[in-house]
This record gives sequence, C-alpha cells and structure tokens, in this order.
Amino acid sequence: MLAFLTYFFFYPALALLFSSIQTQDSRGIIGRPFTLAHYARLVNVELYARVLWTTLRISIITSALATVLAYPVALVMVKSRPIVTRVITLIVIAPLIVSVVVRGYGWQLVLQNGPKGMLNWILMTLHVVDAPISVLYTETAVVIGSLHVFFPMMVLPLASALGKIDPNLEDAARMLGAPWWKVFLRVTLPLSMPGFVAGFTLVFSLTAGSFVIPAILGGASAVMLGNLIEQQIFVVYDWPFGAAIAVVLVGLVLAVNGVSMWLLEGRRLRRPD
Amino acid sequence: MDERFSGFGAFILYTITAGMMLFILAPLLLVMAASVSDSYFVTFPPQGFTLKWYAKVLQDRDFLEAMRLSILLALGTTVGSLLFGVPAAFALVRGHFVGLAAIKGFLLSPLIFPALITGLALLQVLNKLGSTDARLNLLIGHIVVTSPYVIRTVVTSLQLVDENLEDAARTLGASRLRTFWRVTLPQIASGVAAGGLFAFMVSFDNYPVTMWLANSEYSPVPLILMRQLVNVFDPSVPAMSTIIILMAMVGVLVLEKLVGLRRALAA
Repeated sequence: MLAFLTYFFFYPALALLFSSIQTQDSRGIIGRPFTLAHYARLVNVELYARVLWTTLRISIITSALATVLAYPVALVMVKSRPIVTRVITLIVIAPLIVSVVVRGYGWQLVLQNGPKGMLNWILMTLHVVDAPISVLYTETAVVIGSLHVFFPMMVLPLASALGKIDPNLEDAARMLGAPWWKVFLRVTLPLSMPGFVAGFTLVFSLTAGSFVIPAILGGASAVMLGNLIEQQIFVVYDWPFGAAIAVVLVGLVLAVNGVSMWLLEGRRLRRPD
Repeated sequence: MDERFSGFGAFILYTITAGMMLFILAPLLLVMAASVSDSYFVTFPPQGFTLKWYAKVLQDRDFLEAMRLSILLALGTTVGSLLFGVPAAFALVRGHFVGLAAIKGFLLSPLIFPALITGLALLQVLNKLGSTDARLNLLIGHIVVTSPYVIRTVVTSLQLVDENLEDAARTLGASRLRTFWRVTLPQIASGVAAGGLFAFMVSFDNYPVTMWLANSEYSPVPLILMRQLVNVFDPSVPAMSTIIILMAMVGVLVLEKLVGLRRALAA
C-alpha cells in the first residue's frame, strides 16, 4: 500500500510540482531552464488573476453559507426524536452518493433561465418577480450548486461535535435564566467549534478544487481554478502553466487545512470523530 | 417536539431545517420528474407522462457500453482498494513502530488532496511511463482515490475489536490465520463491506480523476453524461440521471443497513 501510494500518488504530485517550474519550447518539449514565470503569469495576467479571486470568493461564500445553514440542521438532527433524526440524516446524506454531474444537471433544470425553469415558474407564480430572472451561468449558480454538493460535509462534523456537548451545560445556562439565543451563543457555539473548523475546512477545500459544478452551472462567467487547469492542459496544451495553477490550488487547500489542524490541535479545541 | 426547543428559536430552527431539506431534494426530484415528462424540452411544471426516454436510454449503445465499463471499473477498484486498504488498516491499528502517525497521515492524504490534481499528476507520470491502456490507468487512479476510504472505515471498526478475544482464540490453539478468519473478520465485516461499497460508489461516479485518464474509446458513465450535458441537447439525459440516482439510493440503503450512515461517513 505504502509503495503503491508512493509510486502513484506521492511521486506524481512531486513530478507535477517539478514540471511547474520548467519551460516548454515551441515544439512542446518540456525542460530547462527552470523558471517561476508561470506563477507570475497567474498573478499578473488579469484574466488568470480573476479566476483565482473567483475561486477564493466562491469557496469562502459557499463555506460561510454552509456554516450558517448547517447549524440549525445539525441541531435538529442531534436533539430531535430518533425518527426525525433518521429522516434528516438520510436526506442530508443520500444525495452525497449521487453523482456530482447529475446534481449539477438537477440545478441546471431548477435554475433554467427563462419562464420555463422551476425557480422562475415559482417566483412568477407567487408574483415575487414579473419577468424571469437569470441565475444560471452566474457565480450565484455555482455557489448554490456547491452548497448543495458539499453541505453534508458541514452538517456531519457539526452534528458530531454538537452531539458531544454535555446537555447539562445548556440546561444549567437555561436555568440560570439565559434566553435561547444566549445559550446558543455563549454555550453551544463555543463548544461546537471543532465541528465548525473541520466542516469549514472540508467545504472550502472541496469547493476550491471543484470542476464539475462550475463547468455545468457557471458557464463562462464563473470559471474556477479547476476549469482553468483543464483548459490549459486539454485545449492549450500548456503543461507547465497548468501544473503551476495546480500547485497554487494545492497550496491553497493545504494552507487552509494547516490552519485548521493548528486550530484543532494547538488550541484546546478537540477534534470530533 | 423536544422540550429543548421552544418558542421563537425552535420556529427558526425548524423552518431553516425544512427549507434545507427541500433545497437538497428539489433538484433530484425535478430530474426524476423530467425523466418521465412527455415534452422534448424540460419545462416546469412537467407535462404528460412517458417512459419513452428510458426505452431510448436502454437502447443507447454508448450509454450501455459506458455503464458496463463503469461497473467493471468500480468492481476492480473495490477489489483493489480492499486488497491494499485492509492490510494497511491493520498495520495502522495493530502496528507499533516509529512514525506511525506520519504514515497514517500519508495514507489518508489523498482525501484532502484535490482529486482533480491527483488525476492530473497521474496522467503526467503515466504518460511518461508509456502506459497507454486507459482501463489500467483508470483502475490505478481510482484505487489511489478510494483506498483511503477503505482504510478509514476498516480502522474505525478495528478499533472496536476486543483484542482479548483474539488472544483467547490463540491460547485455545487456533492458528493466526484461523483466528483472523473466525474471530477478527466477523467483527470487522461491516466495516470492510462499508469500505468496499464506498470504494464502489466513489469509483462509479468519479469525474475529476476519470476526466484525465479516460480516452474516447473508454469513457465511463460520468464522462458520457457530462458530454451529453455540455455539448448536445439530449432529452434522454434525465432518464440516464434518474437511473444513476436510483442506483445511488440502493447503495445508501445498503450502507445504512450495514453500518449506519453517520458512522460510515463521520469515521
């Protein structure tokens, strides 16, 4: 196993890092001299820099939204009667196994621009809007799709952290006269931090590295790093630049994971398992 | 209602939760509804009822070929990742050697590494090796991605095994192999099965790794589906998608029966 992974995972990753600092000549041969020009290009060329920012923005907004929406769901999941817990667990987890391509397609149908899309039909029937709105092929659509795909990754660690909180602590706070929101803010929220950190990291990493959802829902207006890599390799055949973008993406994900490890282990936060 | 939730707080909690349940189910239900809708273009609300798209899908040679390839690939991946993953999990739980934590981190690292990049990195190396058989490349790529899942579920269930039982069996004269077969394996069977099922399902709809390693001759289901979605307008896409959704549902139910979903995922 160790050998297999070393050979087919670790070594390829290093090879990728290596090729990101090489140059490609006009015949497509990759070699010396070594250069950091590809990294500079990603930051300096406005088009590419914008993709980097879009990726960051979408990942942060998605993880933030997932956090806000996952707290109520995780709370209900942990503290309701068993049957409610079971149903919610099934609904939250079941789509996780359904192909991302299919889920992206589902959102394409829901968000369809024009009066025949589900969202527009509902909004127009309820007279919220008079004319169909255009959501598909925008950043908003990508955020919605990513939220759908990665939401379980936030709910599960949160639910497991919330489940470990001693109910007596909350009862004590309540008995001492704290209103529900104060109990939540001062007792539940701080004690659930490990779940929050783990969930946020997962959702951020997965969103930043995603390819399918932006390809299906973002169109040309919400290109993310993953899509840029694919384009550079398959369309432009610029291996070193594609590799450089890949390294930046991995760096981003590892940095976020590093910070979260530090938070989980360095501080008093205990890791949920 | 639980007494813990009351008043306005409870109202907010339940409203958001119900809203999220709707949010999660809506796109899947719409796909299923569209698959039996009579109109050529997907419109809302769906109109008419027909099974003709299913008939079309079940005669579509590309789709059937992709299905066959995906299922074989997923089976191969399951076997492969179990062969690698179960012994690795054993080493992690039972082994006492230096650097255990580091090795565990390393073995599980493909989990946090973006799969898209794993695939790209593999493509580069396999190209250099001259490995042009897309089927073999896909198998290697999928095992890299799925074996951490197996390791994780098997490690979790191994930790619950009472080592005293094994010692007892061995004291009573059972060989190592017999002890493993009769005492250890039955206790971790659900973990192994869950890991295998995970490997199967992750492999079956993996897009980010498959994208790099497949070619026009060997394209698994997610690739075919994506191609239909992005390039051509094809009204049988909802039917294909529904078939995949139903397969996934079966997988989820089996997983729930085997180990309980939350344990399987949160491990």
